[in-house]
Amino acid sequence: MADAAKWQTQDAHHPLTRLWTARRTGGSPAAVPVILGAPVVFWQAVFFAAPLVFLVVITSWRVRSFKLEPAFVLDNWEKVLNSGPFQKALVYTLEVSALSAILTLAFALPAAYTIAFRLSPRLRELAIAVLVVPVFSSYLLRIYAWQIVLSPGGIINSLTRWLFDLELQLLGGQFSLQVGLLTLTLPVAVLILVLALSGVDRTLLEAAANLGCRRARVVWHVLLPSIRGAVLLAGSTAFLMSFGDYISPVFLTGSKPPTLSILIVDTVKSGSQWPRASAIGVSMLVILTLVLLTVGWLGRERRFRKGGK
Amino acid sequence: MRIPNLMSRDISRRGFLKAGAAGAAFAATNAWSPARASDPQVLNYLSWPGNADPYLIADFEKDNNVKVQIKEYVGGDQMLAVINQSPPGSFDVVLADAEYMHLLHEADFIEELDPDDYPIKDFWPEFQKFPLHWFEDKLYGVMTDFGYLGLSYNTKEFTAADVKSYAAMWSEKAKGKVGFFDWYLPSIGSISLADGNRPPFDLSEESFDKVKERLFSLKPQASGFYTIADIFSSLTNGRAQLIPGIGEWITLGLRQSGVPVDTIIPEEGGLQWTESLSIVKGTPKNDLARKFIQYTTSPEGQVKMATKVDNKKSIPSVRGWELLNKTMPGEAEILRMQLDKPNVMDEYKAGKIAFRQLPSQQSIEDWNDVWSEFKTL
Repeated sequence: MADAAKWQTQDAHHPLTRLWTARRTGGSPAAVPVILGAPVVFWQAVFFAAPLVFLVVITSWRVRSFKLEPAFVLDNWEKVLNSGPFQKALVYTLEVSALSAILTLAFALPAAYTIAFRLSPRLRELAIAVLVVPVFSSYLLRIYAWQIVLSPGGIINSLTRWLFDLELQLLGGQFSLQVGLLTLTLPVAVLILVLALSGVDRTLLEAAANLGCRRARVVWHVLLPSIRGAVLLAGSTAFLMSFGDYISPVFLTGSKPPTLSILIVDTVKSGSQWPRASAIGVSMLVILTLVLLTVGWLGRERRFRKGGK
Repeated sequence: MRIPNLMSRDISRRGFLKAGAAGAAFAATNAWSPARASDPQVLNYLSWPGNADPYLIADFEKDNNVKVQIKEYVGGDQMLAVINQSPPGSFDVVLADAEYMHLLHEADFIEELDPDDYPIKDFWPEFQKFPLHWFEDKLYGVMTDFGYLGLSYNTKEFTAADVKSYAAMWSEKAKGKVGFFDWYLPSIGSISLADGNRPPFDLSEESFDKVKERLFSLKPQASGFYTIADIFSSLTNGRAQLIPGIGEWITLGLRQSGVPVDTIIPEEGGLQWTESLSIVKGTPKNDLARKFIQYTTSPEGQVKMATKVDNKKSIPSVRGWELLNKTMPGEAEILRMQLDKPNVMDEYKAGKIAFRQLPSQQSIEDWNDVWSEFKTL
């Protein structure tokens, strides 16, 4: 009680003294971050690091009559890395997710720009709500809905048949796959970009316009560089989500051709080859790490140059 | 208008009771749990999904005052993985596909059965000594149901005459319309039949290479590789118009709900899937397990097996057929199990049917690899 009263008076008196007192009364200054951080470290260790280590360990195990046996063999890696289906699926999955990242940005940037700068505050809130709601609905359900829309007997084809006597092959193939992946990535990417755009200092934009910049130049030279980090984050998030996705490739292309996630399921489904499936999983994690590092490096380099100027 | 007081004690108590009842209902589902496995009033049943449906087992549970606990598996590989990884006594009865029976037997997972304990004499003569259930003249599994796999087709786009041979899959009309069940065994098996191999799973390296080539030539015709759920939707929405290696267990239900599909056994032949029940070695509940098999193969149990609404099957028991024709003549007609008319035994008697089996001269892995390669072509 007395302490609190003392704090309050001192606080009102000078904010710095409060910090000083808190430190002195709170014991060792190093203890607080340790106490606060311990649960996070524990959580990461139990739910991320340990399974990851197990995943790597399992890649060297053996399967005998459908039973996992601890062993130390490299056969699984050899078998996976040398297999044609794995190499093809790897290239295809990379292509698909890169294209998905590009498409996501191409759709998300104009949408986010409109939401952040062109809409009235009320409409902006509504637009953000509309973006958030689908995130809470089942992705599987949304993909099944696309099946109904895109299928040969579906909504679009019924319309085109009625209007132009035309049947479109929409389901199965890159088009339907990207539609499915955009369903997954677009809300997230737009949200990231809207938040970033809302934080942009508008006086900079006005200054550029006052100095005679056209709108396009303002966007290109002032706006985009200032949300560069968010653009990279949105693009890489879209890439990562598409890279690991299983639902869209299965239900919108009929596994034709299979992606790496489908290959993992196939490997386990017949023959219970958990070690080989783990090898594919670890390869995917390595690729994801590389992508994240590259993106981080791209973002960092820019900041360095900015600081150097 | 009187607004009910939602916070009144009565309503909240009723709500509490309701929630409790829901919780109890959840706890009373038939899902297998190791904690209850050793309870003498519990029969542990390792089976394909849906086989502990109350329609099938309620009578058995009531008559014997027991609870059937099911552990569901999807596919024989998973079944073997589960049984391999569980301690003895986890399961009392296992329902298996015939092609996995020799693996269960070799690994010493199932008990020898006394044929006199079961109404096998009531079966069609063809199925009284079903070769994949007997080893060294000893019985290890009692057949419960079966069905054929042929070529399923969209009846709006194709006529029965169009699809009388598997060659229809290579036709110009079928380009991009041939769907596949994403399981190597029936899919490659059908191609093997199309290639004239009898039996279709016993292939020399040379014939296996030819089957592989034949399969790969189907790639431009393929529309996709489907899970069971997706087979239903792709046949319904028209994405797949021909699917080899599936059968009436899929198309009958679809047809009854208005989808224009049918299954034909092409002239090159079809496959038969066969399910049977076995007693798992090490069970302390031998008697109960035996009673369960007796119940499932009795005329009443057989009729239920045949007429379960979401998965209709053919049954081997002639006395089951008789009861079905007496009690549900309409179903008997739809299921083609009428005794005095053309019926499902005709294809079998005509020699058009080969058993679905595991590859005998190559490993499962070899066939799987071919299938993976086909998918990524």
